[in-house]
Amino acid sequence: MSIEVEVNENDLAEMVEQVWESYLDPEGVSPLIPTYDENQPSEVHSSVSITGSWTGYVVYASSVAAARRAAGAFLAMEPDEVGDEDLSDVLGELANIVGGNVKAMLPPGALLSLPQVVLAPEATARFPGTQRISGVYGMWEGEPVSISMWHSRGDNKEGAE
Amino acid sequence: MKILIADDSRVMRQIVVRTLRQAGFGDHDLIEAANGQEAFDMVNSESPDLVLSDWNMPEMTGIEVLKKLRAAGNDVKFGFVTSESTPEMKEQADSAGALFFIVKPFSAERFDEVFAPILG
Repeated sequence: MSIEVEVNENDLAEMVEQVWESYLDPEGVSPLIPTYDENQPSEVHSSVSITGSWTGYVVYASSVAAARRAAGAFLAMEPDEVGDEDLSDVLGELANIVGGNVKAMLPPGALLSLPQVVLAPEATARFPGTQRISGVYGMWEGEPVSISMWHSRGDNKEGAE
Repeated sequence: MKILIADDSRVMRQIVVRTLRQAGFGDHDLIEAANGQEAFDMVNSESPDLVLSDWNMPEMTGIEVLKKLRAAGNDVKFGFVTSESTPEMKEQADSAGALFFIVKPFSAERFDEVFAPILG
């Protein structure tokens, strides 16, 4: 059995675009501009795990400023009024929305976890035994934002190497 | 009408409330539950006319809440607002008696389309 990448970068980009259109940029004035730089820095991140027919993680990562801006857009408040709890809630919801949409594209029989939020860079939480299979990396009003998918290697014992 | 919004994310409850307002349903009595157990308890204590429930919640999932309500003979109008949507979930929701299945991210237009026939 080989790795079937059911969700490619275009699919991911489309989901991200929907999130921007619905919640983060409903006026269509500040889209996420792709950088394709998978090494761009992050300061906070959130993730959901998917287990079953496909096993891995969907990770949303950004700078604190981008997370504040997202929370401001979600909660209809100014970014400087946003507290840590608001940041956590919004980061969790972003991972949940993208993760849920990813799950919908996977073969039946996958379970989505509740989101985990870490107010620290994505690099502090390397997901063990996984490899990045796709990601959307971009700048949102000059701040880094990324959404990536990490596949568990243990899910593919026969086809690896 | 009294509408119960059940979602473990405070942000998402707020977005649902805002989108209901944008879609013209803001003058209804909106109440909130933060997990599945709370939603189940509030359906019994508050007798809402309509429940908008997330699927993936702590304590009890949305589908468990719906099944438990129906098993107890409660016929409240109930539907899902969820980031997860697979054919088998929709099927489960349908067979448990859900009225609608709205996928996140959603728009005010989508709310209008779904809720106009229910809320008038």
